[in-house]
Amino acid sequence: MDAKNLKKFEKEMNTCIRCAYCFEECPVIEQKGWDTDGARGKVALSYGLLSGDLEPTQSIADKLFQCTLCRNCESKCPSGVEVCDIITSARADLVEKGYASDIHNTVIKNIKETGNIYGDTEVMAPLQEGEVPLFVGCQYLSRPNKTKKYIKILEKLGINVKVGREICCGFPMEVLGFKEDFEEYKSRFTELYPHQTAITFCPTCTVFLKEGHEIDAKHVLQVILEKIPEGNLGMKATFHDPCDFSRTLKIIDEPRQILKKLGVEIVEMKNNKGNSSCCGGGGGILMSDSKLSDDIALARIRQAIDTGADTLITTCPTCETVLKKAATQIKELEGKDIVVRNIEDIIWKGLA
Amino acid sequence: MVELDIEKLREIVGKDNVSDDIADLYVYSSDASVHQAMPSVVVRPGKTEEVQEILRYANQNKIPVIPRGAGSGMSGHTVPIDGGIVLDMKRMSRILEIRPEDLLCKVEPGVINDELNRALKPHGFFFAPMPSSGMICTIGGMIGTNASGNRAVKYGATRDVVLGLKVVLANGDLVTLGTNTKTDASGYQLARLIVGSEGTLGIVVEATLLISPLPKFKAMAIANFDKLEDAGNAISKVMSSGITPSMVELMDNVAITAVNKALGLGLPDVSAIIIFECNGMVKEAVDYEMNAITKICEEHNGSGIKMTDDPKEMARIYEGRKNLFPSLSRFGDGLVSTSLADDMAVPVSKIAVAVHEIHEIAKRNNVVMSAYGHCGSGLIHTKILMDPTKESQWEDAKKAVAETYEFVRSIGGTTSGEHGIALSKAPAMKIERKDSLEMMRTIKRALDPNNILNPHKMMDAPDDWTTATKLRYNVRGGQ
Ligand SMILES: Cc1cc2nc3c(=O)[nH]c(=O)nc-3n(C[C@H](O)[C@H](O)[C@H](O)COP(=O)(O)OP(=O)(O)OC[C@H]3O[C@@H](n4cnc5c(N)ncnc54)[C@H](O)[C@@H]3O)c2cc1C
Ligand code: SF4
Ligand code: SF4
Repeated sequence: MDAKNLKKFEKEMNTCIRCAYCFEECPVIEQKGWDTDGARGKVALSYGLLSGDLEPTQSIADKLFQCTLCRNCESKCPSGVEVCDIITSARADLVEKGYASDIHNTVIKNIKETGNIYGDTEVMAPLQEGEVPLFVGCQYLSRPNKTKKYIKILEKLGINVKVGREICCGFPMEVLGFKEDFEEYKSRFTELYPHQTAITFCPTCTVFLKEGHEIDAKHVLQVILEKIPEGNLGMKATFHDPCDFSRTLKIIDEPRQILKKLGVEIVEMKNNKGNSSCCGGGGGILMSDSKLSDDIALARIRQAIDTGADTLITTCPTCETVLKKAATQIKELEGKDIVVRNIEDIIWKGLA
Repeated sequence: MVELDIEKLREIVGKDNVSDDIADLYVYSSDASVHQAMPSVVVRPGKTEEVQEILRYANQNKIPVIPRGAGSGMSGHTVPIDGGIVLDMKRMSRILEIRPEDLLCKVEPGVINDELNRALKPHGFFFAPMPSSGMICTIGGMIGTNASGNRAVKYGATRDVVLGLKVVLANGDLVTLGTNTKTDASGYQLARLIVGSEGTLGIVVEATLLISPLPKFKAMAIANFDKLEDAGNAISKVMSSGITPSMVELMDNVAITAVNKALGLGLPDVSAIIIFECNGMVKEAVDYEMNAITKICEEHNGSGIKMTDDPKEMARIYEGRKNLFPSLSRFGDGLVSTSLADDMAVPVSKIAVAVHEIHEIAKRNNVVMSAYGHCGSGLIHTKILMDPTKESQWEDAKKAVAETYEFVRSIGGTTSGEHGIALSKAPAMKIERKDSLEMMRTIKRALDPNNILNPHKMMDAPDDWTTATKLRYNVRGGQ
C-alpha cells in the first residue's frame, strides 16, 4: 500500500533492533501476552506495511489500534525509537485505506461538525474576561462543575483567566489516524484560538497545544504550585501519574509538592512517576476496545489498593473516569474499596 | 499447514492460544537478528501436558516446532526457516520453588530473568547469569543459548547454574535430566547437553537452577585508556592475578560515543574504558580487590580511575552498559546496529589484538564496528553499523563477518561466547567445529529423527547466512 505517513519513519524503524526491551511493562502486552501486542510487534507490523511485505488487514489494523500511546515503551527503548509516532503514522495510512473504526470516525466527525468530541452543540466554555488565556478542552467542557472549581481555585490564588470560545485541540485527529484532517482543521483552530500562551486543565491538551499548535501551554498545576498555601488535610493517598504528565511533559514533582503542601501524604504505587502504568484510557482504546481498557485499568487500581491508601488522586479527567470505573469493578469483584479523586477536588478542599 | 492441523492445536491449548492470523505470523517471523521467515502458526502452551501433546502431534505429522521465549536471540534462533509451529513459551511462567537452604530454585521456562531475581531478593539470593536483556529474556531462552552476562566472569554462564531439567522430547516423552545437587557424576551430563542446544533437542518445561547469596558489598570503577592495547593488557593481567572481579567490561570508542549520544552518560572520549566491579561478603576483601585492580590499570596507563560504592551511581553505570547494544543504533545518521559477528570469545591475552583487528576489518569493508563486552571472560561483542537498506552494505557486512571470524579462529578464539549460533553464525561455526559437526548431527538424529525441533539451525544451517532466509530489512539495490 502507499504508506506515505510511514515513509517518513523508515530510518527510525531501521534503528529498532527488535531487542524486545519494550516488552517490559507495556500495558497491552501485560494483558494480552502476544509479542504482537508490544511496541516491537507494532513497529514490525508498521515496517511490513511500508516494505510491502504486508497488505493491510483488519487484524493488523486492530493490533495497531490496540495501544494506549502511553510511551512506556519509548522510555524503555535504549535505541530511542519514536514508537508512538510510528504507530500513529501507521494508523494514518490504515485510515486512508478505510480501516478507521466506526466509533473513531464518529468522534472525528463530531469534532469537525461541533468542535468537540461529543458532537454536542450545547457544550460551551464558561466565557469570561481575564488576563491569562485559558484552554478548557473537551473533557473539562463536558464537566462544567469541575471547570468552575478550577477557575475559582485560580481566582483564589490571584490568577484571573480569560475564557473565550474554543474548539477541540484536534489531538484525536492526530492519534486516531486522521492526520490529513488535522492539517485542515488546524487553521480553524488557530483562527478561534490565536493565543501564543495558554493555561490548560487537561494533560493531553497541554501536550497537543505545544506539539500540534506550537502554543506555550502550561498546565494549571505548574501555574499554581508557587501560590498554593500550606494546608492540613491530614489524609493519606496514592497518586496516579497520567502518562502525558509524567512521561511526555515530565511533570512529576509539581502535583506531589502541591499535595504535600496541602497535607496529603503520598504512598507511591509499584509503578510511579516516569515509570507510571497507564490507566487504560489513552490512544483511543477507551472507545474502540473497552474490554482491554477495563483490564488495564483494573491492573492499575490493584496497584493502588496494594499501597493500603484508601484514596487515589490523579490529574487527568480521562484517568479519573477510567479508574473510577475500575474502582467500582474491583469492589464488585474483590470487595476492595478505593476512592478515585481528581486533584482539583483535593485542592478545593485544601483551600476551603 | 492445513486448517485441520490448527483445529487440533486449538483443541490442545484452547482457541485463544493459537493464531494463524497474518499479524501474529508476521511478528513471530523475526527476532533480534537480521533474519525473517514466516511460521504457519503460533501456539502458546500453558502446561507440560500441552507441550507433550503438541509434540506428539507434530512428530507424527513431521511439522517443525520452534520454541520461543522473548525472541531476543540475535542470530535467527527462533526464525522458523521451514515454517511450522512457533511455540511461545511465555505463558509457562511460574516460579515453582525457592529453596535457599539448598541453593536452588525450580522454575518454568517462561519466567523472566529479572522476575526471578526480584523473587529471590527477599531470600537474600540471586540468579547469577544476568544478560543485559535480563528484563525480558526467559529462562528457557537462556538455557537454549547458554546465555551469560557481565557477571559470568565470576559466577559462570547458564550451563554452570543448571542443575536439572525437565524436557519434552521430539516424540512427546517427558524426561528428567540432571539432579538437585551441584556435583553430579551419574552418567552422561544430559542437562548440560540441552543447555545451548537452541531448541533443537527438546523443549525445556522446568529448570532446577543454582542460586547464589547476594553479596553484601559491592564497588565499581571506570578506568580510561588512550591506547586500546593498554586496556587489553590490563584485563589480561587482572584476570591472571588471582583476583576474582564480578565484572570486567571493555568499551571501545565507538561504543563510548554511542552511549554518550543515546543515553547522555558523559563518558570520556578516550580509546577505551574498562568498567570493573568486585563484590563479596567482607568489605575489606572487596576494597582489597578493587585497589589491586586499580593498581594494575594504572600500571597499564589507565587514568582517571574513579571508584564508587554508591548504589545509584553503580546502577547508572550498569544501565548504560546494559543499553549499549541498542544505543549503537544512534551512533550516526543512517547507520543502524545489526546483530552480526556479535559475540566471539578469544583467549583473554588476545583481547587487544582482536579489538584492533576488528577496527581494521571494519575500515576495509565500509562499515563501522564497535568492540565491547564481558572481556574478563574473553568475550567481545561487536555489532556492524551499516545502512541495512543498501544491498551493497550486505556484501560489505558479509565480508567483514567472514574476516572477523577467520581472525578469531587464527588466535584460538570461538565463534560465539554467549548468544549462540542459529543461522547467522552457522557458516563460521561449521568451519571452526568441523571435526564435531557429525557428532552433533548424530545426537540430533538420535533425539529428533524426524528433524522437527528448530530444524536447519547450527550445524544444519545453510552455508550463506545472507541468503539463509529473507533479510528482515527493506533492502534495495544501489550503493
Ligand atoms: C539488546 C540485547 C542484549 C543482550 N544481552 C545479552 C547478554 O548480555 N548475554 C547473553 O547471553 N545474551 C544476551 N542477549 C541475547 C539474548 O537475549 C539471550 O540469548 C537470551 O537468553 C534469549 O532469551 P529469549 O527468552 O529471548 O529466548 P529466544 O530468543 O526466544 O530463544 C533463544 C533460543 O532458545 C530456544 N528456547 C527458548 N525457549 C526454550 C525452551 N523452553 N526449551 C528449549 N529451547 C528454548 C529457542 O528455540 C532459541 O533457539 C542480548 C540480546 C539483546 C537483543
Ligand atoms: S522499539 Fe526499542 S525497545 Fe522495542 S524492540 Fe525496538 S529497539 Fe528494542
Ligand atoms: S505506547 Fe504503551 S501500550 Fe503502546 S506499545 Fe508502547 S508501552 Fe505498549
